[in-house]
Amino acid sequence: MRMTLNILMLFFVAAPALAQDLTVKAPAQDKPLTIIGGTVHTVSGGTIEDGTVVVADGIILFVGETDAARDFVKSMEGVDEWTVVDAAGRHVYPGLIGANTVMGLIEIGAVRATRDYAEVGSITPEVRAAVSVNPDSTVIPVTRLNGVLTCGVFPAGGSIPGRAGVIRMDGWTWEDLSIDGAAGLIVNWPNMRVSGRWWSTKSFDEQRKEIEKNIRAIDEAFDLAGAYLDAKGADDSLPVDLRWEAMRDALRDGGRVFVRAQELDQIEAVIAWGMKRELDIVIVGGRDAPLAATLLAQHGVGVIYTGTHRMPKRRDSDYDVIYSGPAALEAAGVSWCLATTGGSFQTPHERNLPYHAASAVRHGLAHDAAVRAITLGAAEMLGVDDRLGSIEAGKSATLIVTDGSPLEVTTTVELALIDGRVIDLSSKQTVLAEKYREKYRQLGLIED
Amino acid sequence: MRNFYIKRMWHVVAGCVLGATLWVGVWETSGQPVAPVNGPKHVDPGYHALVGGRVVIEAGVELDRATVVVRGGVIESVIEDGEPPAGARVWECDGLTIYPGLIEAYAPIELPEADGDAPGRHWNKSVTGERGALDGGGLGADGRKKLRKLGFAVAHAVPGKGVFRGRSAVVSLGEDNVPGRVEATVIKRDVFDAVSLETGAWNSGQYPSSKMGAIALIRQTLADARWYGTAVSAHEGAPSRHARPEPADTLVALGKNGTLLFDTANELDVLRVAKIANEFGRRFAVVGSGTEFRRIDAIADVDAAMVVPVTMIPPPRIGTRGERDVVSLRRMLEWEQSPTNLRRLEEAGLDISLTSAKLRDKGDDKESFYKNIRRAIKAGLDEDAALAMLTKRPARLLGVEERMGRVAQGMSANLVVVDGGLFDEERTIRDVWIDGRRYEIERAKEDAHVGEWSVASEAGDPIGTLTIEEKAVAFVYAQDEGAVEDPEEVEGQDIRIDPPNIDWVFDTADLIGEGDDGVMLFSARVSGDEMRIITEHPDGTVARYVAERGLDIGDDDAGSEEDEVAEETPELAELTYPLGAYGLSGQPSQRDVLVRGATVWTSGERGIIENGAVLFQDGKVAGVFDADELASLEMDLAGIDVIDATGKHVTPGLIDCHSHTGISGGVNEGTQAVTAEVRIFDVINPDSVNWYRELAGGLTTVNQLHGSANPIGGQNSIVKLRWGARHPDEMRFDGAPGGIKFALGENVKQSNWGEKHTTRYPQTRMGVETIIRDRFTAAREYARAGVIAERDKQPFRRDMELEALAEIIEGRRLVHCHSYRQDEILMLCRVAGEFGFTIGTFQHVLEGYKVAEAIREHARGGSSFSDWWAYKFEVFDANPENGAIMHEVGVVVSFNSDSDELARRMNVEAAKAVKYGGVERSEALKFVTLNPAIQLGIEGRVGSLEAGKDADFVIWSGDPLSSMSRCEQTWIDGRRYFSLEEDVAHREKIGIERRRLIQSLLAQDKDDKDSDSADGDESKQEMVDSPPPDPSVELLEMRYDYLITNGLDPYDARCGDCGCGIHSVFRRSN
Repeated sequence: MRMTLNILMLFFVAAPALAQDLTVKAPAQDKPLTIIGGTVHTVSGGTIEDGTVVVADGIILFVGETDAARDFVKSMEGVDEWTVVDAAGRHVYPGLIGANTVMGLIEIGAVRATRDYAEVGSITPEVRAAVSVNPDSTVIPVTRLNGVLTCGVFPAGGSIPGRAGVIRMDGWTWEDLSIDGAAGLIVNWPNMRVSGRWWSTKSFDEQRKEIEKNIRAIDEAFDLAGAYLDAKGADDSLPVDLRWEAMRDALRDGGRVFVRAQELDQIEAVIAWGMKRELDIVIVGGRDAPLAATLLAQHGVGVIYTGTHRMPKRRDSDYDVIYSGPAALEAAGVSWCLATTGGSFQTPHERNLPYHAASAVRHGLAHDAAVRAITLGAAEMLGVDDRLGSIEAGKSATLIVTDGSPLEVTTTVELALIDGRVIDLSSKQTVLAEKYREKYRQLGLIED
Repeated sequence: MRNFYIKRMWHVVAGCVLGATLWVGVWETSGQPVAPVNGPKHVDPGYHALVGGRVVIEAGVELDRATVVVRGGVIESVIEDGEPPAGARVWECDGLTIYPGLIEAYAPIELPEADGDAPGRHWNKSVTGERGALDGGGLGADGRKKLRKLGFAVAHAVPGKGVFRGRSAVVSLGEDNVPGRVEATVIKRDVFDAVSLETGAWNSGQYPSSKMGAIALIRQTLADARWYGTAVSAHEGAPSRHARPEPADTLVALGKNGTLLFDTANELDVLRVAKIANEFGRRFAVVGSGTEFRRIDAIADVDAAMVVPVTMIPPPRIGTRGERDVVSLRRMLEWEQSPTNLRRLEEAGLDISLTSAKLRDKGDDKESFYKNIRRAIKAGLDEDAALAMLTKRPARLLGVEERMGRVAQGMSANLVVVDGGLFDEERTIRDVWIDGRRYEIERAKEDAHVGEWSVASEAGDPIGTLTIEEKAVAFVYAQDEGAVEDPEEVEGQDIRIDPPNIDWVFDTADLIGEGDDGVMLFSARVSGDEMRIITEHPDGTVARYVAERGLDIGDDDAGSEEDEVAEETPELAELTYPLGAYGLSGQPSQRDVLVRGATVWTSGERGIIENGAVLFQDGKVAGVFDADELASLEMDLAGIDVIDATGKHVTPGLIDCHSHTGISGGVNEGTQAVTAEVRIFDVINPDSVNWYRELAGGLTTVNQLHGSANPIGGQNSIVKLRWGARHPDEMRFDGAPGGIKFALGENVKQSNWGEKHTTRYPQTRMGVETIIRDRFTAAREYARAGVIAERDKQPFRRDMELEALAEIIEGRRLVHCHSYRQDEILMLCRVAGEFGFTIGTFQHVLEGYKVAEAIREHARGGSSFSDWWAYKFEVFDANPENGAIMHEVGVVVSFNSDSDELARRMNVEAAKAVKYGGVERSEALKFVTLNPAIQLGIEGRVGSLEAGKDADFVIWSGDPLSSMSRCEQTWIDGRRYFSLEEDVAHREKIGIERRRLIQSLLAQDKDDKDSDSADGDESKQEMVDSPPPDPSVELLEMRYDYLITNGLDPYDARCGDCGCGIHSVFRRSN
C-alpha cells in the first residue's frame, strides 16, 4: 500500500483573498483523513487521552486510542492518499450545535429588508426555515470560528410561527446546508401571567381573557388540523390545506413540537397540554425549568435552556439563578441542552454559545456535562443525534480541533470539519482585521 | 359614658336650623363691593355659642367642657364651663368634641391650559410659574364640599401640573353668596411657588421627557430668575447700554424669592429636590409620596417642612402560586411598613403636615383618609401628633398660624364638631364651622324612636309597652293586676321608619283576639320623649294614643373603643438599604486586610505576582508584595484581617466605562438634539438590585452615561457600587472629572426610530457635524461674553448647556462619544482639534480599528464592545479584533458593557482581547481595570493594585480571564460588599422574610377583606411608583407582545447600544 500524506497545518491563518461571504465553500471530502494523537472528547464514550479519529466520505470510521487506530488504518484497503492531522497537544471535540438561532434568516437586525424570520399572521405552520437560509450570510463564517458548526433555525412570531430546520454551517445552497428541513413544529406558548407592570394598559380581567383566547387559538389550530387530516385520510379528493399538512408530522407521525415557554406556569401548562394531545414536546426557553425539573424528568419532556447570559427575572432571585439553572436540570435528570437566547440580536453572537456553557460550569455544572449540553444534548433536542453531537463511528465527521476547552474564551479553534470537509476559518472579520493591520504597517505604527 | 339623652337634645336643636332660611348673610368684613341682592336683604347676626362640648384647643390641650363663642367669623371666647352670652344662638354640644378646623395642606388643582403664545410666556409649556392656583375654577363647590366632609375648613390650593406650576393660595372651604366666584374667601395668595419633576412621555417630543431633564429645567429656570431681576435693573439704569430683557412672567414671579414647594413621586425625589433648592439657596417645602420610610435616614437630614399623604401601599396579590412567585420581598415590605411612614417621619423630627391628596381610592371620596390615619396610629404614630399634622403644623407651614390651627380667642372661627374622637373608628363628624358659619356634615343619627314607650290612651289610661328597636316593633299589654299569665308579645310587620315618623302593622288577631281579621295600621310620630300614635282598625275605626319614653336602652356601642386597653406602641422594624432583598443596614465597615498567597494581578507596573500579597489599610492599598518581600516584612498583624487566598487570584475592582445601571426616570433626554445641561448624577438610583448582581461579578466602579438619542447628551456620573448607601450621593466617586455623553450616527439621526422621526435636525452625519460645531462655537462665544460681563460687572445669564460645553473646550469636562463609523470618529477628532480639547473616550468605537492613529492623538482612549456587531447597519464592519488593533497602535482601550447583564462578567470580556488579536494577558485585564480608569481620569485612585490607591479589589476562585472562574469577594474602599458567604446569608434571610410576610398577608386577607377594595383598580396595585401617564404605552405593548411571542423576555432583549432602545424603555425606574 502506497500512502501519500498531506499534513494539515494547525496554525490559524486568515486567507487575505477571501472576504466575508466571498469565502469559498469547502469541497466534499475526497480522501480519508486521520486526526492523530489528540485528546479526543467523544462526549458519548468518554475522553481518550491519546486518541485518533479516522474519517472518510464525511463519516467517522473509527475513534479510539492511537495504537488501535494504526491497526484500523492498516485494515483499510485501497486507500492511496491520506490527509493526516497531527493533533498532539490538541483537543478534539464534536462540532458545537447552536440549538436556538435565526441563522441565515437575519443579516442586520435593524434593517428590515434583511429580516426573514417572522411571517405575517399568527398561525403559519406552513412556513419552514430551511428554504430561506442565506448560505452566504456573513454571520455563518464568523460563527464557525468558535466551533459552532450546526444550528437549529427557528422562525419566530405569532402563535405557530412555522417549522424549524437544522443546518450545517457550510454549503453552496440552502439545500446543501439543510440537515433536516422539518425538524419540528414551533409553538409560542402565550404569556400566562397577568401583569400589573406599568406598561400594561389592560386590566387584569382583560389580560386573563386575552390569555385564554391565545391558548384557545393554539388549541383550535391543532383541532382543525386534526379534523382536516381525518377528513383527508377518509377522502383524498379533499383540497390540500398547506397549513394543516404542515402539522401532519407532529400530529400523526410523532414529529417534534418545540414549544417556547419561559415561566413556570407556561411550562406546567405545556407539559399537560402535550400529554393530552400526545405530542413529542421540547420546551424552548425554560428559564423556570429548574422549578419544574421533577415534572419535566417524570414526563421525559426535553428542554432547550436558552442561555445563561440572562438577568434573573425576580428581584429576590439568587444572583446566579440563571447561571445555575443548567446544573439544576442536570441534577434532576432532565433531558436538556443549552442554547443562546436566540432572536435577531443574539444570532450574530451565536459564537458565544460555549461561554454560556462556561457560565453554567462556573455555577455548578460539570465541565463535560456542559460540553454535552452544546453538542450531543443539542443534537438530541433537535432530533439529529443519530448523525451529530458526538465522536462515534458512523456519525458525521463534524468536529473541531482546539488548543483547549472550547468553553474557555482564550481557546482557539484550529481546525473545523463539517462532514469531513475542512472548513475555512476566515471570515469577513478576520479579513477586515488583516486589512487594517496592513494600514498601520504602511504607516509604520505596528510591526509585521 | 355618653348620654343618649343629651345627644337627642342636640338633634332637636339642630333640627330647628333645617327649617330656617338659607344662610345668605353679607359679611360685614368683606372688602368686596356688595353684590346686588335679589329681594330684601338678609341679616345674619353671626353670633353663636357652642355650649358644653369637650374642646380640643390644640393637639394635647383640652377643656373637658367649655363654651366657644363665635362672633363675626372669629372666636370671641373659649370659656371653661362658661355660660352662653345673651343674644348668641346656642348650640348644645354636650357629648361632642370641638376641634380646630382642619387644614388641608395640599390640594392640587389642575389649571386650564395656558395660552402658549401669550407675551411673557416661557418657551417651555411646563413652565408656568406666573400662574395662580385660582386662575381657573379654584377648588369648586364640589371640591370644597368633599374636603369639608373630612373636617377641613381651609385648604392650600396648589397648581397641579407642569414643572413650574404656579403660585399657591390658602383658601377657605366655605361657600360664597355670590354664585360663580372661584372661592368664597382667599385667605392668602402667593404662598408657595409650586414645582415638580413632572415629565412628558419619553417619545412625546416635549422637553423634559426624563427626570434629569426636569431637574435641569428647574436649575436653569431658577438661575434665569436670579439673573432676570438684575438684567431688568440694568436696563432701567442705563436703557441705552442694556437691552430690555424679553418679558418673562415666570422669571418675575420666581424672582420674588418665594418659598418653593416641590411635589415628589418618591423618597429619592425628596433628596433630589432638596439638593437643587440648596444649590440656589432657596427656602423650600416638600410634598411627599408616602414612601419616605424606605430611606428615612436620608430624609431626616432634609431641612424642610413636608406635606405627606396618608397613602398606604396596598397589599400585593399573593393569592395564586404564580402571584406569590412574582411578588418581591420589597413589595411585601412596602405593604407592611407603609403604615409606619408617618411615625418614622415624626420620630425623625421632621415637620410634617398631612394631606388627603394622592390617595388611591376609586373616585375622589377619599374614603381611606381616616382609615389610613388610624393604621398609622396603630403603627405607633402619636395621636396628638396626627392632630397637629392637620391643624397647627399646616397653619405654620402656610403662615396662617396667627389666625388658624387652634381653638382660641381671636382665631378664625374654624371648628370641627365631632361625635367621638376625630380618629376613632366609630365617630361622626357633625359639623364644620368655617369663618363662623356652620356646615352640617352629618346629622345626629335619627334613632329617636328607639326605646321603650309606655303607651296610654289620650285620656291617660295605660295600655301597654311598645318596644321599638332599629328595625323591630313589639308590643306587650300592660299586665292586669292579679293576672296569672304573662301577656304575649305581639310583633309588628311592614315597618317603615322615616324619622320622625314610623309606621307598622299588627296582625289584628294577635293584637285584639280571635274573630278579628286583617291588620291594624299604626302610624306614630316621635317628638322628643313623646310619641303620638294613630291606629286604624280594618273596620275603619281610628283611635289616638300617646306614648312616653320609658327606659333608655342607650347607645350600646358608644365608648367601647375608649374602654379598650391602650395597645402598646409596636416595635419599629429596622429597614435595610435598599428596602428588600439583599439590602444592608448600612454600608459595611471598613477593615484592614492582608490578602496573601494569591496570584495578584496588579494591573500596574509589577504585572502579575505569583504567590503575592496585598495589604489594605484605611481603605487604601498599603502595599503589594511578593512572597519574599512579605516574609522580610516585620508586620504587626494586630487589627488586620488576614485572608489566605492560596490558589486564588486577586485583581483590582473591575471598572465599566459605559453603564446605564441605576438611573431613575429615563436614561435619555432625547427631546432635543443638544441637552448638555442634564446630569445623570442628579438621578442616581441606589435601589437597583442590579448593583448587587454586578458586585457579584467583581464590578466596583461604573461610568453612568446618558443614552445616545441625541448628538450632545447629558453629563455623566461616576459611581462606586456602594450598595447599602443611605443617600444616593454616597455612591458618587468624589473628585472624578466631569464628563458628558456625545453620540453620532444612526441613533442621533433617528435612523431606526420609525418613519415618524424624520424632522429633527440632524438627519444625516453631515448635520451631526454641523450641530456639534455650532454648539462649540456658541460655547466659545458664551465663555468670552462671560469674561467680558465679569470684567464690566454686568448681569450675565448663565446657560447651563453652553457652560457644560465651554468646560469641554477648557479641558475641564471629558467627552464620552458614542460612535461607530470611522468617518464620524475622525470628524469628532477634527472638531476637537479645532477647538483645542482632548476627547475623553470614543464609546463603542466599533470602527476604531480603521482610524486608530487619530484616536490615539485626540482621545484618552477607546471604550469598545468586545465582540458585538451586525445589529444595525453602522456596526456591520465591527470587528472583535478592534480592541487588539487599537491597543497595538497605542490607543488606551477598555471593554465596556452598556448592559446590566454583561456588566456582571466583565472579566470574561477582557479575555476576548486575548482571544481576538492576542493581547498579552495582563494587558487584557487592564481593558476592564486600569484602562477605563485612565479614560475616566480616575487612575490616580483606582484601576490597579498599587500603594496609595483605593482598596477596591476582587478575589477570584481562579484565573480571572477564565470564563469558569467565579468572583468570591468584592471590596470597595476596604469594605466588603459581596462575598459568597454573605450571599448565602442573604438568601436565607430572604426566604425567612418572604415566608413571614406571605403568612402575614394571608392573615390580613382574611380579616381585612375590604381593605384593598378602597385601594383602587386591582390591576394598578403593583404600581407603587406610578409613573406619569404615557401615550407611548401602546407602542411599548406592541413591542412587549412581540418579544413575548418570540419567546424573549423584554428585560433580556436589547437594541444593542446605549440603552436607547427597548432595554431602557423597559427599565422600571423611580
